[in-house]
Amino acid sequence: MFDLLGTALVNVAQVKYLLPLFFGTLAGVVGGALPGVTITMTIIVVLPFTFGLDPLQGLAAMTGVYVGGSAGGLITACLIGIPGTPSAIATTFDGHPMAKKGEPGRAVWLGVWASFFGGLLGGAFLILATGPLAKFALQFGPWEFFSLFVFALSMVAGLVESSLAKGLVSGGLGLIVTILGSDPVMGQKRLTLGIPFLEGGIDFLPVLIGVFAFAQIMSEVERMGGAEKLADAVDRSLGLAVSHLKVIGEILGRPFLLLWVAFIGVVIGVLPAIGGSAASMMAYDQAKKLSKHPQKFGSGVPEGIIASEASNNANVGGSLVTIMAFGIPGDAVTAVMLGALTIHGIQSGPLFILQNPELAYGIFAAYLLAHPLMVLIIGLSTSFMLRIVTVPKAVLFPVVLVLCVIGAYALNNTMSNVYVLLAFGLIGYAMVKGGFPLAPFILGVILGDQIEINLIRAIMTDADPWLFLTRPISGALIALSVASVVFAIWQHYRHQSKVAGDSETDF
Amino acid sequence: MKKLAIALTGFALLATAGAFAAYPDRPVKLIVPWPAGGDTDNIFRPYAPLLQKHIGQTVVIANVGGASGTKGAKEAKDAPPDGYTLYAVHDYIHSTYYTGVSDVNYTDFEPICMISSTASVLTASPKTPWKDWAGLLADAKARPGQISVGATLGSTSHFFPALIEKAAGIKFKYVSYEGLAPRMNAILGGHTDLTDANMTQKGKVEAGQLKFIAIATEKRSPEMPGVPTLKELGVNVVYDVNRGVLAPKGTPADVLVKLESSCAAAAKEPAFADSMKKQATDVRYMGRKQYADWLKGNDDLNKTLAKDLGLLKR
Repeated sequence: MFDLLGTALVNVAQVKYLLPLFFGTLAGVVGGALPGVTITMTIIVVLPFTFGLDPLQGLAAMTGVYVGGSAGGLITACLIGIPGTPSAIATTFDGHPMAKKGEPGRAVWLGVWASFFGGLLGGAFLILATGPLAKFALQFGPWEFFSLFVFALSMVAGLVESSLAKGLVSGGLGLIVTILGSDPVMGQKRLTLGIPFLEGGIDFLPVLIGVFAFAQIMSEVERMGGAEKLADAVDRSLGLAVSHLKVIGEILGRPFLLLWVAFIGVVIGVLPAIGGSAASMMAYDQAKKLSKHPQKFGSGVPEGIIASEASNNANVGGSLVTIMAFGIPGDAVTAVMLGALTIHGIQSGPLFILQNPELAYGIFAAYLLAHPLMVLIIGLSTSFMLRIVTVPKAVLFPVVLVLCVIGAYALNNTMSNVYVLLAFGLIGYAMVKGGFPLAPFILGVILGDQIEINLIRAIMTDADPWLFLTRPISGALIALSVASVVFAIWQHYRHQSKVAGDSETDF
Repeated sequence: MKKLAIALTGFALLATAGAFAAYPDRPVKLIVPWPAGGDTDNIFRPYAPLLQKHIGQTVVIANVGGASGTKGAKEAKDAPPDGYTLYAVHDYIHSTYYTGVSDVNYTDFEPICMISSTASVLTASPKTPWKDWAGLLADAKARPGQISVGATLGSTSHFFPALIEKAAGIKFKYVSYEGLAPRMNAILGGHTDLTDANMTQKGKVEAGQLKFIAIATEKRSPEMPGVPTLKELGVNVVYDVNRGVLAPKGTPADVLVKLESSCAAAAKEPAFADSMKKQATDVRYMGRKQYADWLKGNDDLNKTLAKDLGLLKR
């Protein structure tokens, strides 16, 4: 196996493959960094260029997009507080505060190096554990998926900020958004108010961009007379003055955290239809739970950035496991990669690795090589990108807003998503004003559809509701959800009482 | 106000000028009503560049998935009938209409051409006890309504097993799994017993991870001659999924003529035949007239099927 991998690494290191891999990674980083342009959209743009290439060249380019995109999202997330891709949502929680505190370089590089190490750990899992992991994923029927998503939803309790009630309302609103439109099974219309446009339901992406970008921009714009730039403390030279050794040290100095979040990323990646956004949120939640100072999360702690970014790149490795082991796409990006294989006439499926070892190990090699390329590309462009924080807001925000609108439009090439963006921008802004946290809302939107469809599938398959508890994996996940909520509430109240105690001593 | 009037006149003039320019003078959007990477997407991806070559303008695929493919159908129906929005369709348009999943009917569109046909294969999970159709039939008779089928309800993957039910006098239980990929995930893990698939899943069968029970063609497939046809097993079901291109109702005749000729030329390209062969799909070209007749016939057939199967809602 390792000689195959060695050969593949040497093979992919040829200019013939390295070039598409490089350009794919570049496209991924750029697409990932642009808010509203997802990795899926980037890969679809890249796809036609691969028709003329040989299959491995095409796959190398697409693997590059996937890896580059998963990392690229952190740039916008840290610098302007708007996730470049959904998988960078959790990166905004601590990345942006850190950048605002005058350390944008540290925030970005923590993210980049965490992506690098997380990705490589994901790669190690990918190469060593494809077989067993894939078998594990097959055990997941609708019951297990339902329980897993409920477990993910239980993280709402950990993401509420000051008010538990407001956090829960916010999460509930997110779930309601997923109810809008036709029901997933027989197309029964729900809460459409007779508006035809709502019948198709609401896409996740414009909601995400609306809530984050618009709300973020509005609250910055409001701060009239305050800082003209996002980070006043930053001068242009400081951006570059990051000691890579120190940043790497910060990451590798938390080996347990890194391993654990990479593991979460891989597992979520292996399970189909979940994706990097849930992986990074779950990892963030875990980092917070394991931390000695959970109350500091959200104020710019390195652990938050490391957890989010390491897990979303490890997630890419996990998704590739599913495609390698079964020839089944785990998410939209791998679906397009698989489509490209089919277009090249390669049978995907469990025999894929046996029948096409040079291709399979070529993908492994491309995945591993894409990571240093990603670091290189971001490294070459950071001096340029870090200037974003020194651009006056009056210039930056209109540009970002236009990019968001273009992204929402380009999703399906329809105007309706632009209106969704606008509506949710206003809702998000109102929520921020009312003190409702956005993270639980987004989590509700991400998970609602999946919870519903898996619940329906489970009951359609077998009407016995006890199966959710008696099937071992499902039961364990439900138990974990309960534990997770209890733990988060305990942590929350302990923190609250501490705050209360502190303020009392002040008086 | 005056400025506004001038601006409006300007726009009106521009719009008129646009109307006189030869079609097409800007990119054409092809709506695929399912996510990227699905069966339909895989067929139209290699087709789009060929269509683009003959039509002389960029053809952009827009994947508008959701609600059993009816979200994209609706969007295509509501698009302006100017030939700049096309719609990649298959037989689900009839079945979702009659089963009440969607309000969009094939008569909301102008047919342009049919391009391909993919035969359905009844496929079983490796965890099922049966080796062949006889085993399945006996089990289904012994346990009516217990064998689970993963399907997009109201769509072709629901109709195909429902036809088998009727022909063989058995009863299945349906579980909603929209799209081939989720159905494959569920069946590989043994969470459903049966599903509608096609020859693209051959690799999994060869690896022992899936079982092909029977193919719904007249003759056995040269790709896998070991798989019997339903007909020879005494189940009179022939079923395939036919894909084509439609335009919104009211698209001008000259635009339709141009689209038809480009569509035909693209479907006849050897490159298209090559990519279809790799996807176990036959190139099946029909022009506007022939496709219109075929759609009408197929619509009647689907209505009858929906009625026979007890799924008719209108």
